[in-house]
Amino acid sequence: MKKPLLGAFQLPSSKKHMVGPLQSIHMPMRRFREYEEVDYAIVGVGSAGGVLLQRLARAGFNVVGLEAGPFWDTEHDWVSDEAGSHELYWTEPRVTGGSDPLALGANNCGKGVGGGSVHWAAFTPRLHRSDFEVYTLDGVGADWPITYDDIKPYYEQLELEMSVAGPAYYPWGHPHGYAYGPHPMGGVGNALIKGCTALNIPVSIGGPVAILSGSHGDRPHCIYRGFCIQGCKVGAKASTLVTHVPDAIRRGAELRDRSMVSRIELGKDGRVTGIHYFDIDGHSHFQRAKAVIVSGYSIETPRLLLNSACPGHEKGLGNSSGTLGCYLMAQAGNVVMGRFDQPVRMYKAPPAHALTEEFYETDPKNDFARGFAIQTVGPLPVAFGKQLLAAKKAWGWGLRREMMDYNHWAAFGLLGEILPWKDNCVTLSKDKDRFGLPVAHVSFNLHENDKRLIKAAKEKTEEVMHAAGATEVVQEARYAHLVGACRMGSDPRTSVVDKFGRSHDILNLFVCDGSVFPTQGSANPGLTIQALAARTADYLVSQGERIFTSNERNMKTSSMRRELAPPEAWGKGVPRLK
Amino acid sequence: MKPPFDGVDPALCPRDPNTGEPLPPRKQPGYYPGFSTISQSPFWDEATREVIDKRVKHPPERKFFSAEAWNFWTSVFAHLIPQTDRAIDRQIPIVAVLDHRLAINKTAGYRYESMPPDRVVYEIGIEAIDLEAVHRYGGKFLVLPSADQDRVLQAIHDGRPEAAREIWKRMSVHRFWQMIMGDAIDAYYAHPWAWDEVGFGGPAYPRAYTRLERGEPEPWEVQEQRYEWLPPANTASAEVDSSQSHHTESGQHSLLDRLSEEAQQGAKR
Ligand SMILES: Cc1cc2nc3c(=O)[nH]c(=O)nc-3n(C[C@H](O)[C@H](O)[C@H](O)COP(=O)(O)OP(=O)(O)OC[C@H]3O[C@@H](n4cnc5c(N)ncnc54)[C@H](O)[C@@H]3O)c2cc1C
Ligand code: SF4
Repeated sequence: MKKPLLGAFQLPSSKKHMVGPLQSIHMPMRRFREYEEVDYAIVGVGSAGGVLLQRLARAGFNVVGLEAGPFWDTEHDWVSDEAGSHELYWTEPRVTGGSDPLALGANNCGKGVGGGSVHWAAFTPRLHRSDFEVYTLDGVGADWPITYDDIKPYYEQLELEMSVAGPAYYPWGHPHGYAYGPHPMGGVGNALIKGCTALNIPVSIGGPVAILSGSHGDRPHCIYRGFCIQGCKVGAKASTLVTHVPDAIRRGAELRDRSMVSRIELGKDGRVTGIHYFDIDGHSHFQRAKAVIVSGYSIETPRLLLNSACPGHEKGLGNSSGTLGCYLMAQAGNVVMGRFDQPVRMYKAPPAHALTEEFYETDPKNDFARGFAIQTVGPLPVAFGKQLLAAKKAWGWGLRREMMDYNHWAAFGLLGEILPWKDNCVTLSKDKDRFGLPVAHVSFNLHENDKRLIKAAKEKTEEVMHAAGATEVVQEARYAHLVGACRMGSDPRTSVVDKFGRSHDILNLFVCDGSVFPTQGSANPGLTIQALAARTADYLVSQGERIFTSNERNMKTSSMRRELAPPEAWGKGVPRLK
Repeated sequence: MKPPFDGVDPALCPRDPNTGEPLPPRKQPGYYPGFSTISQSPFWDEATREVIDKRVKHPPERKFFSAEAWNFWTSVFAHLIPQTDRAIDRQIPIVAVLDHRLAINKTAGYRYESMPPDRVVYEIGIEAIDLEAVHRYGGKFLVLPSADQDRVLQAIHDGRPEAAREIWKRMSVHRFWQMIMGDAIDAYYAHPWAWDEVGFGGPAYPRAYTRLERGEPEPWEVQEQRYEWLPPANTASAEVDSSQSHHTESGQHSLLDRLSEEAQQGAKR
């Protein structure tokens, strides 16, 4: 057996908290007392929560982020292994139902600092202009209370902060370019290019994806090992754990991990006063706060607000509209697999590699509204085995034989817009979790437009796979990316929060995560979630102390504050510590 | 010298397509002779190496299942992922991994409305499979010949069990099958020996993959060398069927619906 050139790879000997092999976190961090009234308590330090924590700390607020999962030391806690990465996901109990039940757990939500951004594939396309006015344009779904132009500067900024790699010219939606060079292609990316090219479909290669194509500061570049959704130990893939949390802690934010928030407390004056939470030993605590921001993901956010029902808010906190938990969305995420005569070895390179948004917009020739994207995916053996189980009903010897051909398969995912429907919702189940709290019940049903769209998207993706040269094409139905259930809108009768994420009912309660989406487009939501978080932070900073004291709802949009970004992000791209 | 079949019934082994003769078990089935991911472990980071080392050298011991349940599921999983083509000392533990999962009550993070909690699934699953075995072949699952066992499981795979209606009302057949197969896949394809079999390169931090295109192997991986083999003659699980895939779950006719329809038709008659 050969010895490695540089000797065996040992853990770093220091006691430093590492995020990636080069970046260590500034410790010890600040610790607030529970009787101290902090300015902001943020529930959930995931995609949105991480950005908020960093921005608000940098603006000088006293801010604490409560996170149900652990604060990862990536060098010690993460492994390049599918089964060994189970802890990255939200595996607390939930119940799923409806006519088309969604798989939850590993299929969507993270647990631990960084949240879903730890195990996302890091595709980072923007929403299109049309996504903000779906109702006006197509008479279905809903309009957003903001436009593309409102969020555009935040897209540009966050693309720099996460270091999104992509082509210099990206043709779809509002055409734009990326500051960081695209990635080289792996086998699945090549298959998508080949298939699209044969059919004259424009295709974007090597991004947009929030993975470093070249090293920057404390973050090394991608090494094409394909374990992105197992949490990138390398630190090449952006997650708020490696991009925003280090800066937040350095700027005086507190991160309280393994703290499960159970209820938001409402004071007599109709303003929230703080949050109840359980620590790792199950002891209950109360943290006083002048304002609360819930960033717990589209399932846990409505669950927490429903579990916080109290006199005056019997249907759930901030639910005067009755729409809390409703209009939950998932994107159609069917996986189309193609077998090639030549080996592909799809485990190499990031799963998020190439895509086309050519079918994104409503096409009057279709019998449905809105559209879809086609993207690369590169399942590792366990995931692929389950896809074969679903797509080919393979078991026993059949499964063993098919799996021996693992290296001959490539997989594409379609990403199709499913419209917001009231009956797709999060409610409380009779099942309880280990703290005795009712768990979330998720109900999901496809409607006619969704079914037609999925059928067309599936057929197109299969066509591309055939055109790429696949000799056999099969597919599995699945869903990706939950958003909605706490949607923003201008009308308090039909939405839960306003365009800044502020509860229509309670002035110092905010929601900021994917749950505020009124519609979802067919772009992966992560970039938009982080951009919205930066925008909400700007609003909060511009309002200053008024958030904590005033009963006025100021709806004026402030301009973007670049100084709130980690300084090295601006112009160079990557937040650094030093 | 060990006999070529080393205690394995040759009738349960894959066959040579030309001669029809059973193929003796190998240390490493698959088309990548000599490829070993574990041999690369010095190039892995320490945390990964520890996890995988433990998986190979110290499979968990029985904690959750009773001895009877352990035996029962061992026979079932021998059909779900057969390993008679593997040398005995290179068979991958599956039930041990499942037992550990149930012991610590590790779940996927959700439960289908149509399913009881996981531990209950594995409890009533035994009864359901046994009832089906008795209904079809007049004996409990464990005493049936292998081919009949295969067909009992095939009925559940097809979503067409005929017995144990009371149990299948509490538990979706389709989801039950997904769960037991999912557990089998979770254990088998997480094992480095299975990676060697399918030609997956395994962990590569901090070393990296450098040959991304044309399915080319890294210098330490090996080129594919295919050979022909057929599944054992009398197995039900050799066939795969991609036509069965539906694009929505609501497109699937649930057993419960079918049962109640049949009951209604029965009542009309
Ligand atoms: C396999 C996979 C691949 C994906 N790929 C992509 C992709 O390529 N591109 C993309 O854009 N998106 C992708 N996503 C989706 C993306 O990860 C999510 O949309 C995004 O992370 C959601 O952000 P969020 O802020 O709403 O919630 P999260 O990031 O999930 O953060 C919520 C956090 O809140 C914590 N929390 C919840 N409830 C409580 C409570 N009561 N108390 C304390 N803490 C709590 C959770 O532990 C979690 O850390 C992918 C998701 C998965 C599962
Ligand atoms: S492929 Fe790149 S981004 Fe993905 S896990 Fe490996 S190093 Fe990280």
